[in-house]
Amino acid sequence: MDLLNPYNLQVITFIVLNGILAISIYITLMTGQLSLGHAGFMSIGAYTASILTKQADLPLFAALLLGALAAGLIALLIGAPTLKLHGLYLAIATLGFGEVVRVIMLNMEITNGALGLTGLKSIGNTLYEWQKAIGVSAQSVGVSVMQMKALLTLFFLVLLFAVILFLTLRLNRSRIGRAFEAIKADETAAKAMGLQISYYKMLAFIIGSVLAGFCGGLFAHITTTVTPDDFNYHKVVEILSFAVIGGSEIVWGPLFGALLLTSLPELLRSLAEYKMIMYGAIMVLVMAFRPHGLIAADTFQKLFRRRSKQASAAKKEEF
Amino acid sequence: MLRVENLSTSYGQIKAIRDVSLHVPEGKIVSLIGANGAGKTTTMKTIAGLLTPKSGTVTFCGQRIEGWKPHRLVEAGMALVPEGRAILGKMTVLENLEMGAFQRKDAQGIKDDMEKMMTWFPILKERLNQLGGTMSGGQQQMLSIARALMSRPKLLLLDEPSMGLAPIVVSDIFKVIRQINQEGTTVLIVEQNVKQALKIADYGYVLEVGQIVHEGTGEALLNDERVKEAYLGGRKHA
Repeated sequence: MDLLNPYNLQVITFIVLNGILAISIYITLMTGQLSLGHAGFMSIGAYTASILTKQADLPLFAALLLGALAAGLIALLIGAPTLKLHGLYLAIATLGFGEVVRVIMLNMEITNGALGLTGLKSIGNTLYEWQKAIGVSAQSVGVSVMQMKALLTLFFLVLLFAVILFLTLRLNRSRIGRAFEAIKADETAAKAMGLQISYYKMLAFIIGSVLAGFCGGLFAHITTTVTPDDFNYHKVVEILSFAVIGGSEIVWGPLFGALLLTSLPELLRSLAEYKMIMYGAIMVLVMAFRPHGLIAADTFQKLFRRRSKQASAAKKEEF
Repeated sequence: MLRVENLSTSYGQIKAIRDVSLHVPEGKIVSLIGANGAGKTTTMKTIAGLLTPKSGTVTFCGQRIEGWKPHRLVEAGMALVPEGRAILGKMTVLENLEMGAFQRKDAQGIKDDMEKMMTWFPILKERLNQLGGTMSGGQQQMLSIARALMSRPKLLLLDEPSMGLAPIVVSDIFKVIRQINQEGTTVLIVEQNVKQALKIADYGYVLEVGQIVHEGTGEALLNDERVKEAYLGGRKHA
């Protein structure tokens, strides 16, 4: 049962949470927009949900959804003037937006300034209450209460992740996904084909922001605290590096990036003080040898082709 | 069908075209010719809604359309084949064609038009599942034209269809353009390849440094001494 200790479970939970964040940056990138506002939207989602559960005593899951919606609403307001910008200009504008959000959260009374909000409802507790209500206790499963709560949180996140991933894959194959792809590939061509560019860019921006806001709410109610510095510039870089290291052509890229970057610090723990050196070195190496990220659109095809080639070569040898 | 009057477009302080007027009657092929930098593509982009004019009017099928967004123009029945083809390289030929019909909802009509494209452009049928980016320049141009036709336009705008193509491919492209016109689509071509463009044109305009300097039937312009000298490598002064 050592593997199931609450610490390991929380690490895995954060891998899954970062997986959802990776999907959020992926969807914005689908139209070729480099937005660095994801930490800001996370912050909005986190604080909205936290204030709703703490001050208004709203049910946890309703608050999570409202937090995500708040992030989407702000994205609509921010997107209108900024989405006309391209490339790095959009990146700078959204980066500025994230900083503004951080400073606002730092100075408002309702957000409790730099100390942030603590003692929030925990997802684990809430789910465990439900579980007990249907008559299943941790003891009857054979784990401690702490473990049970961590497990329930993890299951909940995996479920959410699976649903969101499924919807993203559906989106990819849909009319909207095609439009996103065309806009990313060639904006002039997309315009000439009659696509309403601004509408689709806004749509991608809002979906990405809603997901980021949702992740913010989840994050706050897993750790049960939220401070403005949870969503600072470092968080922006972390989210972006999922897509940069993993690749942003297909959804599996950022997901793999999230898995790798979240688990690396844990896997490298035995290196103690050399940990961050290794972490940095791995990032540099990936960029040097795979500048478009570890997983590209044709990576899987190539792998399978090689395997089938090897298989046919092996067959030939048999004769 | 399309009437452009006194159209002027600027890039910042620089005037790219000044008081351009032209007329494209229904069912005809009209060519707009001129050298590099004469403002041909600017004119085309302004008509197609990719640029906003500074002044002047554009009337399409009786409606004033200057300043409209491109998606509204596609809906109104105008389709642009952009300069440099603009194929979606990571999508297949089939997907590129489907994207051309993005605004249409009539599944049966789209299917019929898809079949029509397969007969007009047999090369596309062979390569339906190939990625657009892996085809040759001429094939990409065919695909770009077919993709524009998938929106079932009344007016087809072609921006430099001969660009970067071998002469034999160019004459194939122009054959196709003539065929499209005979099937009932009105065509406006912008070209540097003056000879080919005027040969198939019912009417032509010559653009120089942002202004229309000559106009006439395709044949008349082909035989015009000034046009011959400037664009067709015609007789030198004796």
